[in-house]
Amino acid sequence: MVLSVRDLAKKFGTFAAVDGVSFDIQEGEIFGLLGANGAGKTTIIHILLDLIAPTSGEITVFDKSMRTHRQDILQQMNYASPYVAMPYRLTIFENLMIIAGLYGVPDRKKRIDEVLELFEITNLKHKPISRLSSGQVTRVTLAKSFLNRPKLLLLDEPTASLDVDIAFRTHDILLQAQKEEGMAILYTSHNMAEVQKMCSRIAFMNHGKILATGTATEVTNAILKEERDEPALEEVFFHLARTAPPR
Amino acid sequence: MKWHRIRTVIRRHAYETRRNLNRVTDVVYWPILDIVVWGFFTIYLSSHETTGGQLVGFLMGAIILWNLFYGFQRDVVVGFLDEFWSRNLTNLFATPLTIKEYLVGLIIVDLVKISVTMIAATLLAWGVYSFNLFAYAWGILPFLLNLLLFALAIGLFSSALILRYSTKVETLAWSFGGLLQPLSCVFYPLAILPAWLAVAAKAVPTAYVFEGMRQVLQGGGVNWTYVITALALNAVYLALAAWFFSTIFQITREKGILVKME
Repeated sequence: MVLSVRDLAKKFGTFAAVDGVSFDIQEGEIFGLLGANGAGKTTIIHILLDLIAPTSGEITVFDKSMRTHRQDILQQMNYASPYVAMPYRLTIFENLMIIAGLYGVPDRKKRIDEVLELFEITNLKHKPISRLSSGQVTRVTLAKSFLNRPKLLLLDEPTASLDVDIAFRTHDILLQAQKEEGMAILYTSHNMAEVQKMCSRIAFMNHGKILATGTATEVTNAILKEERDEPALEEVFFHLARTAPPR
Repeated sequence: MKWHRIRTVIRRHAYETRRNLNRVTDVVYWPILDIVVWGFFTIYLSSHETTGGQLVGFLMGAIILWNLFYGFQRDVVVGFLDEFWSRNLTNLFATPLTIKEYLVGLIIVDLVKISVTMIAATLLAWGVYSFNLFAYAWGILPFLLNLLLFALAIGLFSSALILRYSTKVETLAWSFGGLLQPLSCVFYPLAILPAWLAVAAKAVPTAYVFEGMRQVLQGGGVNWTYVITALALNAVYLALAAWFFSTIFQITREKGILVKME
């Protein structure tokens, strides 16, 4: 097992951002965390990266506890989010050299060229971040996330600022990496179609809790309490938005 | 010109002043600090007989050493602020990087910067004002070490407050060191201060540094009592600053502040 989360909870004062969440991710699996804004998806990612301390619960990555093996675990993980910036005066190459250095990536320059080529931004290599479009910055953060060949990749709405064409190509790159390198991916998104395409299993979250886990069809049936043959995640989303009381 | 739009611009800046400590320090803090420091210096000048050459030496030495102290503590904080301004903390600490490793790297960079500053300032003082601080290098060195240790403690303390309260208090990078200037007796001896302020000054390692520096420049040799007292105070302040920083870093993780910093 790559990742095991048990009874994870995070309270900010009296507000329960994450409330008793449990899920597992297997090797080579793309697992989706789905839910509205404020459901707790990003908080879970931040806890998994040890940027936020959980209130309670246990996280095991590669059979090691995050409490005692932070550095070993983070060495084999990476993440990308369009909402995180990079030093904007530095070029893409300089930014990637820093991150590669922190992971101790061997032959850094060659690896940087590989990830830039993978995400089709080689031509931008020596441009400062401040001169890139938001879509280009997103591709830089995705390239960054591949630098250390992570075994577990956390992607927080990775295609949020990409146009449809580049988003589709990014999906293909991620699916290829999953197949070729056995990379496990935790994928959060608001985009139901994207999650359905990318993820073999999903957990649907609302108000910090997981309401259902399984394939898209299983989750649809569990939440709508019906027996359908096809997934209807958008319907699930609207159902929850309109029936669950606001926090 | 419409008054309601002008009024709105005024309101916009009033909101900013209320929310941004930087604006308050610009308005009140620096003018008061200048009056205090130069007021005491004027008292010193009018009440002591010093030869012109000696005064130039005291002032040059004071300016060079104070800039080292001020620059080093500022650079520790600004190094940290650079990560806030570029919203890069998440990128850094999502890697195996530890906060201790980050701080050691930052301190090494700042030591290089401060060495360049010191060499440039000393050469300039030598070339233009015939004041050769290199001639006193061995006597000044123990005080210089104390100066940097205290600057590090102040830098860590200010960085911790910025970690906790974000860039709202970024002015600490420039203002907190300045607050210590009157107590550090940079341009005048400790004896000039009123008794109540002298008590506070004796708790500040930089006061011993500048007293010691003047003694060295007068040819009185190194006052080891000053050196050891400053070292002892620095040990306490550094331990407190390190504890404070580490506690605040833990609080930022618990409160989720680290991922929301701008």
